[in-house]
Order: sequence, then C-alpha cells, then structure tokens
Amino acid sequence: MAIPTVDPKQTRVGVELKHPRPLIGCRFDPSGRFLFVSAEDSTLQRFDLLTGRKTAFTGHESWVRGIAFSPPAAAAGPACLVPPVAELSALPALGLSAAPPFTLVTGDYHGRLIWWDGAAIAPKPARNVAAHDGWVRAVATSPDGKTVASCGNDHLVKLWSVTDGKPQSVLEGHACHVYNVAFHPGGGRLVSCDLKGIVKDWDLSTSKVVRELDAKILHKYDTGFRADIGGARGMTFSADGSTLACTGITNVSNAFAGVGNPLVVLFDWKDGKAKQLKPKEAYQGTGWGVAFHPAGFVVAAGGAANGRIWFWTGEDNIHKVDVPVSARDMALHPSGTALAIAGHAGNAIVYTMLPGSEKAPAKK
Amino acid sequence: MTRCNYACQTADHVVSRRSFLGAAAAGFAGLVGGFGSPAAARELSRSGKRVFTIFLHGGVSQLETWDPKPGTDTGGPFRAIPTSVPGIHISELLPHTARQMHRLALVRGLNTADDDHGRGAIIMQTGRKPEPGIEYPHLGAVAAKLLGTGKEDLPGHIQIHPGGGGGFNKQDAAFLGPRYAAVVVGDGKPPADLYRPAGLSTEADRQREALRQKLNARFAQTRRTAMTEAYTESYDQAAKVIARGDVFSIEKEDPKLADRYGRHDFGRHLLLARRLLEQGVTFVNVQHTNYDTHHENFDFHIEQLGEFDQPFATFVADLADRGMLESTLIVVMSEFGRTPKINHLYGRDHWSKSWSVALGGCGLKAGAVIGKSNANGTAVTDREVNGGHLFHTYLRAVGQDPTKNFYPNDRPIPIADPKASAITELLA
Amino acid sequence: MRLSQRARLFALAIAAILAGPAAGGDSLSERIDTLIAAGHRDYATNAAPIASDDEFLRRVTLDLIGRVPTATEARTFFADRSPFKRVRLIDALLANPESSRRLAQYLDVALLDRRRDNKVARPAWEEFLRSSFERDKPYEVLVREILSADGADPATRGTAKFFMDRDLDPQVVTRDIGRLFLGRNIQCSQCHDHPQWDDYKQAEYYGIQAFFNRTFLFPNAQAPNAVIAEKADGEMSFTNVFDKAKVQKTTGPRVPGQPVVADPKLEKGKEYMVAPAKDVKPVPAYSRFARLATAITTGDNPAFRRTAANRWWSFLMGRGLVHPLDQDHSGNPPSHPALLDLLGDEFAAHKFDVKWLVREIALSQTYQRSSAAAPGAKDLGASKFAVAPLKPLSPEQFAYSLMQATGLTDAERAALGDGLTDAALQAKLAPVAAPFQNVFGTRPGEPEEKFVSTLDQTLFLKHGGTIRNMIAPRPGNLVDRTLKIAEPDAIADELFISVLTRHPTAEERKDIVEALKAVPDRRTALAEIVWALVASAEFRFNH
Repeated sequence: MAIPTVDPKQTRVGVELKHPRPLIGCRFDPSGRFLFVSAEDSTLQRFDLLTGRKTAFTGHESWVRGIAFSPPAAAAGPACLVPPVAELSALPALGLSAAPPFTLVTGDYHGRLIWWDGAAIAPKPARNVAAHDGWVRAVATSPDGKTVASCGNDHLVKLWSVTDGKPQSVLEGHACHVYNVAFHPGGGRLVSCDLKGIVKDWDLSTSKVVRELDAKILHKYDTGFRADIGGARGMTFSADGSTLACTGITNVSNAFAGVGNPLVVLFDWKDGKAKQLKPKEAYQGTGWGVAFHPAGFVVAAGGAANGRIWFWTGEDNIHKVDVPVSARDMALHPSGTALAIAGHAGNAIVYTMLPGSEKAPAKK
Repeated sequence: MTRCNYACQTADHVVSRRSFLGAAAAGFAGLVGGFGSPAAARELSRSGKRVFTIFLHGGVSQLETWDPKPGTDTGGPFRAIPTSVPGIHISELLPHTARQMHRLALVRGLNTADDDHGRGAIIMQTGRKPEPGIEYPHLGAVAAKLLGTGKEDLPGHIQIHPGGGGGFNKQDAAFLGPRYAAVVVGDGKPPADLYRPAGLSTEADRQREALRQKLNARFAQTRRTAMTEAYTESYDQAAKVIARGDVFSIEKEDPKLADRYGRHDFGRHLLLARRLLEQGVTFVNVQHTNYDTHHENFDFHIEQLGEFDQPFATFVADLADRGMLESTLIVVMSEFGRTPKINHLYGRDHWSKSWSVALGGCGLKAGAVIGKSNANGTAVTDREVNGGHLFHTYLRAVGQDPTKNFYPNDRPIPIADPKASAITELLA
Repeated sequence: MRLSQRARLFALAIAAILAGPAAGGDSLSERIDTLIAAGHRDYATNAAPIASDDEFLRRVTLDLIGRVPTATEARTFFADRSPFKRVRLIDALLANPESSRRLAQYLDVALLDRRRDNKVARPAWEEFLRSSFERDKPYEVLVREILSADGADPATRGTAKFFMDRDLDPQVVTRDIGRLFLGRNIQCSQCHDHPQWDDYKQAEYYGIQAFFNRTFLFPNAQAPNAVIAEKADGEMSFTNVFDKAKVQKTTGPRVPGQPVVADPKLEKGKEYMVAPAKDVKPVPAYSRFARLATAITTGDNPAFRRTAANRWWSFLMGRGLVHPLDQDHSGNPPSHPALLDLLGDEFAAHKFDVKWLVREIALSQTYQRSSAAAPGAKDLGASKFAVAPLKPLSPEQFAYSLMQATGLTDAERAALGDGLTDAALQAKLAPVAAPFQNVFGTRPGEPEEKFVSTLDQTLFLKHGGTIRNMIAPRPGNLVDRTLKIAEPDAIADELFISVLTRHPTAEERKDIVEALKAVPDRRTALAEIVWALVASAEFRFNH
C-alpha cells in the first residue's frame, strides 16, 4: 500500500483515549486497528480504533512494559488508518469485519510472560510463563514471527517459541539489567541494551556476541546519589535494518530528580558508528520511545514534567510537539500516519500527522 | 579557667597526663582474647550495652521495604514476601533480611510530621523537633555518655560514612561536649597515618604529648571556645583510636564471612561495625546513600536495597551467633519515608505521615510489629508514634531511664522529649 | 614585653593623629570604632583591651600575608619603640608581595570552593588573581573581568575559571553569582522542585540566569579548551511545577532590585555578526552575556558593594556584619546596619580599593582588640565585636605558617642559593601546602562551614610524613638552628619566638629544660618539642 503523505509539522491530536490509571507502555498491533496500552494497575487495555471499544486484558500481577505481536507485520499491510476526527463514535463504518486473530506476548515486573489472542472479544491468558528472575523490561518478535525475545533484571535475554512458549535459548553476557531487545529485520541477529549503555549484537545461530555497540552516553553513575541511571528506554531498527536507534537520558546531573536530557543515538548497522540526534531546544527529561518513519524521518518522544515529540530529518531537529502530559512510551502507527503517546495521566493520545485538509481515505 | 558554655567543668573533661599514659600503656594489652573469640563476646555481654544504627540517607521507601502494599494504587510493581515470622511480610527487595525477621521488630505507625531532610534527620537522631536556641545531642552522643564507663580506649561514638564524611549535624554532641561527638571514619578504611611512624618512639611520643597538653592548658586559661575544645579533644580521641588500631584490619576476618557481608563498601562498613561493637564501642552508626528517589524510585531501590539486604542480614545473624544480639540494640532509620502516591517520574517524594523503622536486639520483643497503616499506606490507623517515642524506646531497651535529666551548666534538660514515652509493647 | 595599657592607648592616639583623618572628618577606622561601640550599651565596659604587641604582630601578619612572622620580624617589632610601629607594620605587610598572594589565595577559595580543575589551568587563574592584587586592581574591575570572561583569548583564559570550573552549569552559576556577589543564596531547589520558593524568588533566580541562558560551551561541553559562545535567541522560561495550570513564565536578564536589561529590537537577518554553522562559533549582534558584569557591579546595585564590604570585613574580623555571608535578607539583618552601609559606600567611593579598605579595618581598635576578654567582662556575643575572635588558620595559612615556623621556608631559601627567586621558592613550597589543602580543606565544591577537627586531620598532624619532614633537622631550619644553641634558655627563646611569636613564660622555660633532659638524643628532643609547639591550640588558631 502506498504511504500516504504526512507532514510532521502538522502533527496534532487526533483522539485522546482515557484510562483511570497512569500508563506505562503503548503499541499498535501490526494491522493498525488496535492500540494496546499498559497501566500501573497491572492491566493492559486494548482500544479498538474502529469501534471505540475498550477491552481489559487482566492476568498480570505487576506492571507491563514489554508488548510484542506475532506475526510482527500484518500480511495485508496496515488495514486501518486512524481518522483525524475527535469522536470515534462519529465514524462512518469502514466495512471491516472482526479482526483476524494474532498472538500478543506481554512481559511484567514479576518476571512473567503471558501469551494472549490479541483479537479476542473476551481475552484470557493463553499461557503464563515464569520467564525471568525480576522484571521483564522488553519483549520483541523475530521477523519471521516464530520467536519472541524477552530481557530483564536477571541480566539475561531469553528466546521463546511463539507457538508453544517453549524456551529456546538463553543469551548470557550482560552484567547488569537488560533494558531493551530488538531483532534485526534481516533475520539471524538480535541486539540487547543494558543499564550501562552496552549494546550486544548476538548471532542467533551461535548465541554468541558478534560485537558490542557503545551507547554509554545514555548511562551515568551519579556519584552524588551513588546509583546508576541508564539503559535504552526505546530501541528499534529501521525497516531495512540499516540503522539502529536507541533513546534514553544523557547529561544527567541529578539522577534522583531526573535532571538530564533526552537523546537518540543512531548506529549504522554496517560499521557500528554512532550519531546523535538531539532536541534543538533544551529539554529536561528522558527519551522513552523512538521510531523510523518510512518517509525518512526519525521521531522520538519522552517526558518528565510534561512530554514532547521530536522529528529529525538527518540530524536536524525540524519540529517538536508539546505534549501536555508526561510521555512514557511512543508507538508509530503501521500506516505511518499517526503516533501514540502513553501518558502519565492515564491518557493515550493519538496524534495524526496527516496534512490538515485531507480525510482518511477509505480502504477497500 | 574561662567559663565554658557546656559541661566541661567536670573532672573527666580535664585532660590529664595520667589518663593519656593509661591509654598508651595499655596499648595492645587491651586486646586480650583477640577478635571474634567467644571469651571476648561473653565478657562484652556481661559488661554493657551498645547501640547500632544504620542511617539510610534520603528517605528509604517504606513501601519498598518494611510495609509493602502490593496490588494497590500505591503499591508499585513489587511483591510482598513472607518472612521467618509467620504473618509478617516485607518487600521482595529484602529476601535475606526476611529470613532474619525473627530477630527484628517493625514499627509501622511512625508519623514524624516533617518532610525536610535536615529537620527529619534531627528528629530521628535526637528524638526531638528542632528548637530555636538549643541543640539536642545525637543519639550516638547520648549512648556514649550513658553507656560508657569513661575508661574505654575507643571513642564511644563512631560513625562510618560512605565517602569522605558528611552527615547532617557536625556539632552532634551539643551540650554533652566534644568528647561524645562522632568520630567519623570515612569509607571504613583504617584512617591514614593511624600507626605510629618508625622514627617516633613510645617515650618520645609520651614526652611530646605531655608538653602539648601543658601548652594547651595554659592557652585555655584565657582563650577557650568550642573550637579550641574540639581541636584539643581530637588529640585525645586520636590517641585512643591509635591504641586500638587493629580493629580496622578487617582483612583478618574469616574470608567466607567477609564474602557474606560483601566486598563492596556497605558490606565492609558493616563488618567493621561488628568489630567495633565487639570491642565495646557504645555506639556505632553506618550510613548508606542514597534513597531520595523522586525519579525512578523502583529502579533505584532495587539498586540500593540490593546493596543493603545481604550485608544487613549477615550482620544480624553474625551478632546473634556471637551472643551479642542480647546486648546490642539495632535500629534502621531514615529521615522520613516516601509518598504512597507514585509521581509522574515513577518516583516517590518525601513522606513523614506514615512510615516505618526496623529494629532488633537488646531489650526488644523479637518478631513484633507495632502500629499499622491503612490499606494503601496513606495514613497510620493504629498506634501512631513519633521520633520522641522511638528515642525513649531505644534508651529503655538498653536499660536507661529517658525521663532523667542531663545537667549542662547545672541546668536540667530531659534526656528524651518529655511529651513522649517509650513504646512499651516493643520492649521485652 | 607588654606595654602598659596607658602607653598603648597613647601610642595609638598619636598614630591616629599623625595618620590623619580624611579631610573634613574622622577616618574610616575611627568611624568603625564609633559605630561598633554604639552597637551595645555595655560595649565600653566589656570590650577587651587592645592586644599586646605579640598578639597583634602574629594576628596581622597571618591576616595580611598568610603566615606567622619570622623570628627576625618578631624580634625587630618587639624592639621597635616607635609609637607608629603598628601603622608601619600594616603598611609594610600590604606592600609585601606576599600580601597579594594571600589575598589571591583567599579569594580563590571563596570563588571556587576548591573545585577540581576542569577546563582552565590553575596557574593562569592564580596568576590573574595575584597580579590583580599586586597592581591594586579595583575589586569591581576584578569582578567584572571574571563575569565577562569567555575564555576565548588564550592570554586571559585564566579569568574564565569561575565559569569553566562550573561547566557553565546554569543552576550552579546562578546560585554562586547570587551567593558571592549579591549576598543571597537563592538557589533553586534542584533536587526537590519544592513548593517553598514562591514566584517572586523564582523570577529573581531566573532573572540572573537570563544573562547567560543563550550561552553554551563551544565546540562542546567535553572539550578541554571549550570557550563560551552565545546564540542570538532563546528565552528564559520557567514554570512552577506545582502550578497546576503549568503557566510558562519568562523573564529578561535582570539583577534583583534592578530593571530588566531589555534586548534591543534587531532587524530580521541581522541577529548575528557571525552566523551559526557547523563548527563555527556564532557571534550574536547583541550579547546578553556581555551585560552581566556591569549589571552586577554597577553603582545602581547596592547589593554588590554591600556584599563586597561585608566579605572584606569578615576577612579580617572572622564574621560578617551580615552573617553568614550569603544570607543577606530581611530575616537576617546586619549586626551594625549603619556600619555596613558606611563600609559599602566608602569602599565604592575609594574605587573598591581592597588594600585601602583592609588597611582601614586593620587600623581600627575593633580589629586590634585582644582575643582574651578582660576578667569579669560580660560576654556580649560574637556579633558585637567586643572581643577579637579566634579564627582557625585556613589550610593555606596553616601550611605556610608551619613551613615558616619549622624553618622549612628558610631551609629551602638557603638551598636555592643563587637561584633564589620568588617563583623558585614558591615552586618548592606549594607542593608542601597541597596535602594541607586536601586534609584540612572542605571537599571540592563545598563552601566552608563550621570548624571541625577530624580524626584524619589529627592523625596527619600526629603521624603524617609531611610534618615529620618539617621537624627533622635540615640545614637552616628551626631544629638545625637550635641544635647549635648551647644555653637551654636561649633555646627556649628561639623556639617560642619562631613558632608562637612570643617569649616563653618562666614555667615554660622550665618545661623546655625538662623536656631536653628527658630525651637523651638532642635531635629527637628538639624535633618533638617543635612538634608539641606546632600541634598546640595556640598555633592552630589566629587569636
């Protein structure tokens, strides 16, 4: 499907979805029909962007931040565009039937992974695995959709079969909490980033580290408070696998008050060289999510007292959008026309990037 | 003599040549029985009581330690785990300490009504709210004065600080005088220059000390201030520490025990604390920093409590094994606790309305829990107490009467806040 | 020997007459005494008598050149029968190059709180301060140079240490400009975003920060040779985090109590003289940063001269008229408001001449009082300046005094022989001072607080190698000199004059004789006697 033209500079609120407790994470499903958010009440909530229905996924007993899907991309491409209108109930029907089933895997801070049918009307945990000792911080799906990777506070990255939940391998080597994990789109390789900003690049056929990338700029040992702050809070590959993006907090002068700046670090996959994407205007806070837009720009979001979204073309921060709430995660809609922010006030704000006068085109 | 504005007219304040000689002559003879011997421990338990505190700087979260509320809107992501006392649960971040719960007690109804670091520290360490016009002595100075015999070689009030010093109140002995002020040992290392250099004989040392003291006595006839006192007193304290220099040699400990304490800073400091207590030091304080987690409270509590848990549990068990637990009061405290409400930075802010301390050892009911907070920790519902009640309790636990007075300059000042009283349910 | 009380006062009166008041009125030092005496109704009956010669000599030497007097200086001063000897001593000390070094060291610690060296080499900064005092640079000029330094010119990079050692951190720089030059500690509670500071104080804080909110370190904050660069745009905006509406406020550059220094309107496209580009340092057409120095030091800002006068008062008197020095606010009034105003105005009228002000204070009776109260006198409290305070020697004073007292300085001088220059001697002495700065100084970045005497300091003095080296005999040092003296009385004299700047009492002479007998080895006996003298409270304090 052709990518509709978007104009980051016209980014504005499309719809605000509400939940009574603070949100932690957000992801669109690969079809683009659903927005999943995780909250401090240990639930996930699924917002159906077509019908407006909100469905609770209960089963976790602690907070969730890792959310992954299989298959990782919808076979027919993103099936739904988020309309730029405020009232979901005023939508003309787009003629879609109930969504086809897909697997959703989520990880929580008690170390458990839960498998779900993401499209079910009344979802229940299909499988509950004691995956890690301590937090599961992130979950990711392999490009072929067969494997899911989890990482966490036990310093381990673990791989699991999507179909039956069986453990496949354990990647050992990190010496501290592993914050994020992502599969290379080309297959066969996986990266994981830990608290100290060390990114390990694993060859999955041997379970060995091929090289390490240096994201240490995202780590600081605060000598005043005697504690470490760091980790890639958001991490993603570009669709063609040529670049890896990590985002977190840098320049920390006070870890216990969060005084520092958000930063995106881009790694060239071929030679491992790093580049930095900085906000043009000084901002105090943490980068929590980053994405590569098919049109060629990079978008990231983060927050502290409130939130902000940044857009870069090359290394130039061409635009920013102020978010009225602390932004704790960001997700790019698979159609490329929208992005979602998980807000501290319990609101998931979906921003549209479509130019103002255009309506969402109908899909056959 | 120039009038001093604190208790220095007493005989024991005047430095005498004889007392110095006494200490110097004792030298290593005072180490009869050596360290860690059952004989030493037995003698200790006969001879006296001592107090040990851990100060967790910044305000440790009671919800991530002693009074977890999992599954509530304030509980955060961690579990509560069972302990060695059926019915008592603490945070999953303290698994080793949980197994020592039968030697500890908890006060969960603490309300100190002050969210300021400096004032909170004063309340918890002096048992009183800060008052204009008077400074009250730190618990360490009080313990050193009341529990000491005046004949000890090591200073009665020792604080082990994480780095090169710190703490909130340097003049911490107040009107009790610099004799009881904390000797701060930075990072638990044997102080540099502790041992007498090769070129200085015992006799030469003795002679020069005598002359130095004479010069100071003359100077003090016309110029005597808190500063000159602090300066001259520090030599007396140094002499005592030198005489017992071996206490700092923690490498002499059983390596397996040292491993269980942990080879990192806090572990070493606790091990040194045990050695000091074993040598009869009446008050030892170890400090751990920092817990002031306004931002990312959960991550940082994992890190800091991860350092705290096993060494503390090892320490408690070690004291029990050596028969020292019955004569040593243990207190784990902070300036205040942290807000049940989680802020927008995944942080918790200052909270003095309903928080907890953990205690154990001498004179206390093991496994007791006094006081309750409500379902999500936002208020005390049962047996509310403040810093004054705790202070009374500490003193009763070590056999002292907190309703008595000190008499600086003949002026009566109650040892503990007269508006409060001991938590009798906690006393054995 | 002490002069009788009457003779002392007579000498001072003559000195005052001959020194001459300013045309048309009393000298500043006399007005100081009048205002101090008026500060308490019982002042006259309870003030300490004027210090004896030995007290005065030691104190003023320590204060003005940062060390104790040499034995020769002491003997010369005691023997001098001139009624003007105190004035002459003060003038000689201020003319001594060591006074510039002393003032420079004092100001260095006050301005930098012993921070670790960052982007500016310490020697360049020290030389900048020292030569400024050497050339009698007005204090306001000195401060203006410090607050306008961008570090770009290598010849004057030392001047930029105030900003550079702080990494141009806006929080820290704002706080310290307030503290050091305006007498106010208005620091933003960085840690807690506490609701205790209200909008007014926030605007004050950000008004100062607005002068340099457009600056940044070029090429980047990590470069060791970074310079301060500035953009042409950027507003100082702030919110009160407890303001639910999260209203964004802004302020232009503004010193508290002064109007905003407004940006001029510039034609679009003409905001830069050198436009920002990759690896190019931008130069704006209008610089807010360049306005900071004059805004702080202008005559329209009384806080500057008041704070400066307060600081130099406390330099000699041990505490400010506003005390602590950075708590000048309505809840902490000065002990002598009229005096503080007078000092500030006179300092400004005399072109902020530091040595002039220091001289006037040193000439006052208030400064010259004994630190021993008269028997039976009431304690009026330190803020009344009725009795001279005890001041612990700073780490630098302690180090250089120990070097002088033990004769290490003399030994180094002798060892240099023909190669003796001020620089060469300093190169030998400064490394010996370094451990004192470590052990006795506050931790880097922390301002000085109350006097403490810690275990590590005491052990350093008792057992440390630095002191052991000083007391071991060496050609030309004190132990070496006294080894060559046969008569125990003469030994006692040399020891006490060299170390404590006075003659021993009869009892002390007996103690020395006893001590020499008790240890058979004369070298050891003398070395450890010197140790006892330098370890005494009398040596440790300026009194």
